[in-house]
Amino acid sequence: MAHLRPPLRRVSGRAIGVWTLRLVFGSLISLLLLSALAWVVGTFAWDWVPEWIRRNPWVLPAAYTVYALLKIAIVPSWRYRVHRWEVTEDVIYTRVGWISRAWQLVPVSRIQTVDHTQGWLERVFDVATLKVQTASYAGSSTIEGLDAEEARGLSEELAVRAGTLRDDAT
Amino acid sequence: MDRQYEPESGPHDPPRNTDGTGGWIAPGSTSGTSGDQRSGREHLDDQQGRPSPSSWPTGEAHGAHRRTEEPGSATPTFLPPVADTGGEPAAPRSWWGEKSSNDQGGVLGAEEVHGLSPRSLVVGPINQLKSLFLPILAGLVVGGFNPWVLTATGFAVVALLIGGFVTWKTFRYEVGEERLEIRSGLIRRSRRTIPLERIRGVDVTSTLLHRILGVAVVRIEAAAGSAEGTEDGKLDAVDLAEAERLRRVLLHRKAVLMGRERQEEPARGREDTDEEAAVAEEPADDTVTYFRMPRNWYLYGALSLGYLLTPFVVLTTLFGMLQQSAGEMVTDFLLDWVSSTDRGFLLLLAVVFVGALVLLMPVFAVVSYALTHWGFSLRGRDGSLVAERGLFTRRSVTLERRRIRGYELFDNPLERTRGAVRLRAIVTGLGDTANRAVLLPIGPRARVEQVVDSALALFRARLTRHPRAALYRRLTRAVLPFVVVTVVAAASGITWVAVTAGVLAVLGVPLAVDRYRSLGHGYDGERVSVRSGSLSRGQATVERSAVIGWTWTQTLFQRRSGLADLQVTVGAGTGGYTAQDASLGESVDFAARVTPEMVRPFLVRPRGEDEGGSADRQD
Repeated sequence: MAHLRPPLRRVSGRAIGVWTLRLVFGSLISLLLLSALAWVVGTFAWDWVPEWIRRNPWVLPAAYTVYALLKIAIVPSWRYRVHRWEVTEDVIYTRVGWISRAWQLVPVSRIQTVDHTQGWLERVFDVATLKVQTASYAGSSTIEGLDAEEARGLSEELAVRAGTLRDDAT
Repeated sequence: MDRQYEPESGPHDPPRNTDGTGGWIAPGSTSGTSGDQRSGREHLDDQQGRPSPSSWPTGEAHGAHRRTEEPGSATPTFLPPVADTGGEPAAPRSWWGEKSSNDQGGVLGAEEVHGLSPRSLVVGPINQLKSLFLPILAGLVVGGFNPWVLTATGFAVVALLIGGFVTWKTFRYEVGEERLEIRSGLIRRSRRTIPLERIRGVDVTSTLLHRILGVAVVRIEAAAGSAEGTEDGKLDAVDLAEAERLRRVLLHRKAVLMGRERQEEPARGREDTDEEAAVAEEPADDTVTYFRMPRNWYLYGALSLGYLLTPFVVLTTLFGMLQQSAGEMVTDFLLDWVSSTDRGFLLLLAVVFVGALVLLMPVFAVVSYALTHWGFSLRGRDGSLVAERGLFTRRSVTLERRRIRGYELFDNPLERTRGAVRLRAIVTGLGDTANRAVLLPIGPRARVEQVVDSALALFRARLTRHPRAALYRRLTRAVLPFVVVTVVAAASGITWVAVTAGVLAVLGVPLAVDRYRSLGHGYDGERVSVRSGSLSRGQATVERSAVIGWTWTQTLFQRRSGLADLQVTVGAGTGGYTAQDASLGESVDFAARVTPEMVRPFLVRPRGEDEGGSADRQD
């Protein structure tokens, strides 16, 4: 029984930075909300809130902090190890995820659009996201964290090749 | 039915040409496309050397292009033909001025600018009134017919009538050689151009009212620029014959356009134009009837859950309508009656009523099912499949074969007891698939497969079963949550929750087993098929060429047992069909068999086995 080998290329190492910062910001916002909640509960101490929560309102934010720190420490580098991509003559092959994984094959001849996007965080780290769309709702493939220069070149190349290879595309 | 128009088109043409005072005549339509498939000889002769006045600022090239084929025409290819219009200046076009003169003679030649049927003047306002009817009635009853309410109602009705008139007066459509144009609006004008190659389907629907008046609503669905988007043209309403003609013309001309692109026998299209009669009979020539509904198939309606529930829906709607129109009175009356009647009698009545309702459920289901599926037929013509059905509202959906990528078979447990299935097509860029992709009514599997085989192509391989681990996953999912609830509830001493959850947990076992048994995927050399589900089991089959990618997803739990979900990406239908919990290795082999060019480059084979997958694939 054969199996799929992982795609050859890794994304840019700077993607770890993007993912880390993204997680940090997301966690901070959640932590802020949870803290506000804890503060409100602690201050007003409504009757309908269970006793032990009223007594220790800060348990939840504390637990979340631990969880978030662990996640920030582990997930980005793990993700970096999993995220791989490869563009051959006629197929785009990607692997994404961390705990759950997804392998995707998209034929270049069926590409309809190639999007090259860069959020502000990605601009800081000089990486970019490449999104390839086919005629199917389910068939779009995303490569996150590519080196910006490489992503630009790749998107142009793919667009050209999709144009030349293009059959009906559906 | 073209023959109906044809005699009128000849004699009626000259007046249009002479008094076409900058009216609504497009060169692309009148003379230009008349050279094409549809219109008669007379029409052509009439046109020779006397192209219609162009009031078309854009000067559509395609119209002129055709005309160059006519010997008498002096019009250069890419100029708007203004030279020999008998001194008629290319006046700015009017949006609605022309139609009335055309209208007396009925519908003109096939390439004319058309308006809606005058009978839509009746249908449109009535349809709008229908939704306003109850509120108006309620207003009148409650308001005690006082003059204010009466006047307001009168105004509303008049406004509706005027609105309908304006719509009818301003609405124009025109089938050009390469595009369909729909224009409408008095103040806010809109013009929609749909290239004929883009047309994906033409639906003809007529409600009871439409049919009494002999008109129908034509919906033209076209692919928009983007992949998923579609844009519709809706003609509400045209004569039945015109609807039928439009469908034929649009799809046929489209087929010709596509054919011409491929350099396929352009001569045939020309021959067709020569004789209107030939054109009129043409559908009869290549129309194949795949299916006509046998009487006893209506009984299958009793197996459909949706139709079984209709009596309740009808009851609620009836009650709602009563309440809406008669306000509180009904509710008060009911409450009074309930509180004043003997309790035992009430109970008996309720039991009898509910019993009768349950007993009648299948009857209602069959009746309502029969109403919507009456005279179901599936035919093939001009490279399309046409499914038609309905007793009061007759609906006919045309699906282009080129866009049909496969089919789906559905059944629920009830239907499985009778071996019945439902059939739907998997079509590129089709909205409202629940209604429009239906190719057959519920019917016995053998017959359905026979129809599939003749109309499309049947999947003929056995499905590969998924590994046993998939069964355990299903059991865990169906049983474990309820077991946990049972244990927790039992521990907390809430008996009824514990019992309910316990029963559900036990029921989960057969469900999980059935869900496991329905899992499968297969490939017969040309088509890929995946199946899953229990309460609504679906098997999707798509052509190999329609597969535009593969996606495997594997969660942590799946990884432990070597399973993965394999999604077949398809540019049609829902976009992807998933083989759930297949063996990862086997599914990779499977994908490699279906699309070797896509998967092979990324395969590694341990211990140098060559094509060893075939041994593993036998389950």
